[in-house]
Amino acid sequence: MNRFEFSGKLRITLLIGIGIGLLSMILTYFIGDDDLNSRFWSNFLHNSSFFTGISLMAVFFIAASVTAWAGWYVVFKRLWESFSIFLFAGLILMTILGIGNYFQWHFLYHWADDGSVAHDAVLKGKSAFLNKNWYLVGGLLIMGIWIFFRQKMRRLSIMEEKQIMGDYSIHQKLRIYSAVFLPIAGFSSAAMIWLWLMSLDAHWYSTLYAWYTASSWFVALVAMVIITLLFLKKLGYYEQVTDEHIHDLGKFLFAFSVFWAYLWFSQFMLIWYANVGEETVYFKIRKDEYSWLFYGNVVINFVVPFFALIANSFKRHKLWLVIISAVVFVGHWLDFFLMIKPGVLHTAHELIGHGIENEEVLMHHHHLPAGFGFPGLFEVGTFIGFLSLFLFLVFSSLGKAGLVSQADPYIEESLHHHV
Amino acid sequence: MKRNKEIIFGLYGDEQDLLAAVKSAKDRNLEIYDVYSPFPVHGLDPLLGLRESRLHIAGFLYGLTGALIAFLGMSWVFTRDWPIIFGGKPYWSVPAFVPIVFEVTVLLSAIGMTITFFVVSGMGFGVSNETLHDSITDDKFCLAFDKAEADEATVRQVLQESNAEQVHEKMIKA
Amino acid sequence: MIAPVSKIREPLVYGHKTYHQITEDLVAPTEKAPSLSWMLVFIPALVLLVFGVFSIYWTIYVGIGTWNLNKTINWGWDITNFVWWIGIGHAGTLISAILLLFRQKWRTGVNRAAEAMTIFAVMCAGLFPLIHMGRIWDAFYIMPYLNTRGPVWPNFNSPLLWDVFAISTYLIVSLLFWYTGLVPDLATIRDRSAGLRKKIYDFFSLGWTGAAKHWQRWEYLSLILAGLATPLVLSVHTIVSFDFATSVIPGWHTTIFPPYFVAGAVFSGFAMVQTLMLISRKVLNFEQYITLNHIESMNKVILTTGSIVGVAYLTELFISWYSGYIYEQFAFFNRALGPYWWAYFGMMFANVVSPQFFWSGKIRRSVGWTFFLSILINIGMWFERFVIIVSTLARDFLPSSWSFYSPSWVEIGIYLGTFGLFFTMFLLFTRVAPVIAIAEVKHILKTSGDQYVGKDAEIQH
Repeated sequence: MNRFEFSGKLRITLLIGIGIGLLSMILTYFIGDDDLNSRFWSNFLHNSSFFTGISLMAVFFIAASVTAWAGWYVVFKRLWESFSIFLFAGLILMTILGIGNYFQWHFLYHWADDGSVAHDAVLKGKSAFLNKNWYLVGGLLIMGIWIFFRQKMRRLSIMEEKQIMGDYSIHQKLRIYSAVFLPIAGFSSAAMIWLWLMSLDAHWYSTLYAWYTASSWFVALVAMVIITLLFLKKLGYYEQVTDEHIHDLGKFLFAFSVFWAYLWFSQFMLIWYANVGEETVYFKIRKDEYSWLFYGNVVINFVVPFFALIANSFKRHKLWLVIISAVVFVGHWLDFFLMIKPGVLHTAHELIGHGIENEEVLMHHHHLPAGFGFPGLFEVGTFIGFLSLFLFLVFSSLGKAGLVSQADPYIEESLHHHV
Repeated sequence: MKRNKEIIFGLYGDEQDLLAAVKSAKDRNLEIYDVYSPFPVHGLDPLLGLRESRLHIAGFLYGLTGALIAFLGMSWVFTRDWPIIFGGKPYWSVPAFVPIVFEVTVLLSAIGMTITFFVVSGMGFGVSNETLHDSITDDKFCLAFDKAEADEATVRQVLQESNAEQVHEKMIKA
Repeated sequence: MIAPVSKIREPLVYGHKTYHQITEDLVAPTEKAPSLSWMLVFIPALVLLVFGVFSIYWTIYVGIGTWNLNKTINWGWDITNFVWWIGIGHAGTLISAILLLFRQKWRTGVNRAAEAMTIFAVMCAGLFPLIHMGRIWDAFYIMPYLNTRGPVWPNFNSPLLWDVFAISTYLIVSLLFWYTGLVPDLATIRDRSAGLRKKIYDFFSLGWTGAAKHWQRWEYLSLILAGLATPLVLSVHTIVSFDFATSVIPGWHTTIFPPYFVAGAVFSGFAMVQTLMLISRKVLNFEQYITLNHIESMNKVILTTGSIVGVAYLTELFISWYSGYIYEQFAFFNRALGPYWWAYFGMMFANVVSPQFFWSGKIRRSVGWTFFLSILINIGMWFERFVIIVSTLARDFLPSSWSFYSPSWVEIGIYLGTFGLFFTMFLLFTRVAPVIAIAEVKHILKTSGDQYVGKDAEIQH
């Protein structure tokens, strides 16, 4: 079976998932929210940015692998490729947020409130970067570039099927697009991460933030690839994918979880150590008010995968690997929750409470509104919706080309891959 | 009981010939004394039935020891032996311990494993193990049998059938 | 049994080598009398070393006052050189460990030399903080041990002490990794020699026989040590960056420092490997083992890490504006337009602009260009550390104590001396041990020799 058939049953399951998501979002909007609809919109941003980033990392992975002459992943490169389809959805979703800035559909960003900016020297200073126009136009432009490369690389990868054996001209082209994409992705992903996420805490900044966030996306990507790949194997596809490939994916999950922890520690420790109030506030709120998530973040995303995947035999056990991948995937989704929610809440307080300092509000009422302190039912529902949409798009895209490339220059190496 | 061993061995010029020879020796239930090569030959371990090395378990335990020594040691110094406040931090500042805990973990694990490797392999500075043939570290692959354990006639037959380039005998001290 | 190799890959060993030929070629430099070109490099290196030893002697005899440091700029060339050498010491482990984990076969041509280079570079680096202590005879004070003078005094909260742990661990683990890899090759030399030479190599080859079980464990050990060395190599420059980033000094206190220092270290380390390899392959006749393909691969790593460093520079610059914090903004204004502006632009040009030439395949495969750019990058990375350290300190909190610094002859002498040490050690190394890992090259011969892969392949399997 070299062609994936998106079966009716799977389709319906995912459509139901999307339905659950839509229902959760509607319910959030109308019954579970504050006056500014902060809960609804923060969930919207949370999931949109999370899944868009995963998609971007998939393009990045292919570009990096092609550039590094990697062969092992080629058997299932179509899966990586199909992961990048969500960039289209991301473009629409993030554009909605961009337009929403103008019409005050949402109040996620402190810097988007003209009244606040007028009285705030720091926000005014940043307004050349943090402004509605750049959010919309810059977002469209950069995501457009990502999609351009995604399309180009996917097309070339499919065109390879038609070329004569031993003719690598298309692969040479793919190499050029891949190499060019890497630095572009390096700069543009940072710009988008600052704009979409770091600016939620509009006064705060950290130079490492962009790389940290990108590593979170990347780990989530690897986890989801493992889950979908083993699911497809279970359905009878991808017989050519052996324990050796799975083992390597396990190594990736292990290694990048450690890398993520390294970045987490570097960012946290430096801010903790220097103890500059303007910086520590970011972690102080998270440590004091979100202590479960704050410590849980490190446990789920580092301690668990570290010990669960340290031995080779653990990495080769399929069910175990799926469980750990699922834990880590949810873990990084929670990481994004923790990155996004406190800042949004702060802004909402500022705008509703007319200048009451957020810390004070938080300190004095040890009670965070529903959907902000910890993911509630609506958050879970929204997550299921987005995940289903993501997988729906992935599986639709997967069915459009042969599952295993027959003509990639490295396919023989990949088919006989040994750890 | 120590005794001198009479070794009979064949030398091959290609690892594929060696693998074939090992296979045919195994097929005839010949007890193989050892196999020597100028570089690690892949596919040999399963043929010889070598079980996977357990060095990593040793490494893990050494590392754990290192982590504990570093962490408990620093905790003791900063809470009991000489508690001093640095930079307004609490005495017991765990984030600041992480770098040293990590370094000591890696240090002990690496040293421990390397020493273990050489000790269990019977190697060390000044140790001089007898080798069968000088070309083994150059370009020849060697399949060796102990005459006391394997029938010489069959051995010679196997070596001949598998196109051994040279066949030698050597007495080595055990 | 031999895994298939894509036809798109290029050979890594040229000249239709046999196993025996590989042994002959790679052992040759240790068996012949030193060539004229070797002597021509060795003698100046030795002279530099002697000059360095004298400068260190002078520092210790007269005192640290022989350096031009002052109360504002209390870190100068010494710490700049320290960070620079440590950075150079990163490529060896990276090539050996990370490329081993990622199964990049081209590492076999250069890993041994790079590892040796790592060890010598770390030795050069370690020298600087030791001398900078001022009273080198009290250096044992940094070691935490139970003692009769009172409690255990080292400050475990200080990044400077983390450095002590990181660098000594790195040196020891690199040595273990390097030596373990060297043992089979030393045995090869042993089995080719006679007399006293045989006795010496017998001692150092630890009784290696090449038994299957030993190879299995040896490969396993290499892999685990690689797994350990990978986070270790990241940790070392990370901790060096902590020396700066844990402070509250604008321009130093920034969270991107750890990964950015690591990328910079790999960048400069590869540049230095490139410089050394381009000379070695010529002098030692290794052109068929260190091929243009190897050089191109390393240039790609240089391009990648150079671009990462570029992203980090611009991130810093951007965030300093974005922070809205005037002192942060001034720190960067000062770097670019202050008294040391030439260092900043030198750094930007050499580190960010010059590697971009490697986008061109022609330049990547040109020995001359590569040599020139590798030297430029080495200088650029030295500038980077100088910019971070000196230009920041020269304009500190009180304008009344702003100052300017240029090194004394003693500081320059010690720096030149480390070059002497580095090259003396490396040249001696080429005389006593194979600079290219013999066993590992044999191991990849059938998947990377030009008679098996590439366009001239004759043998199919």
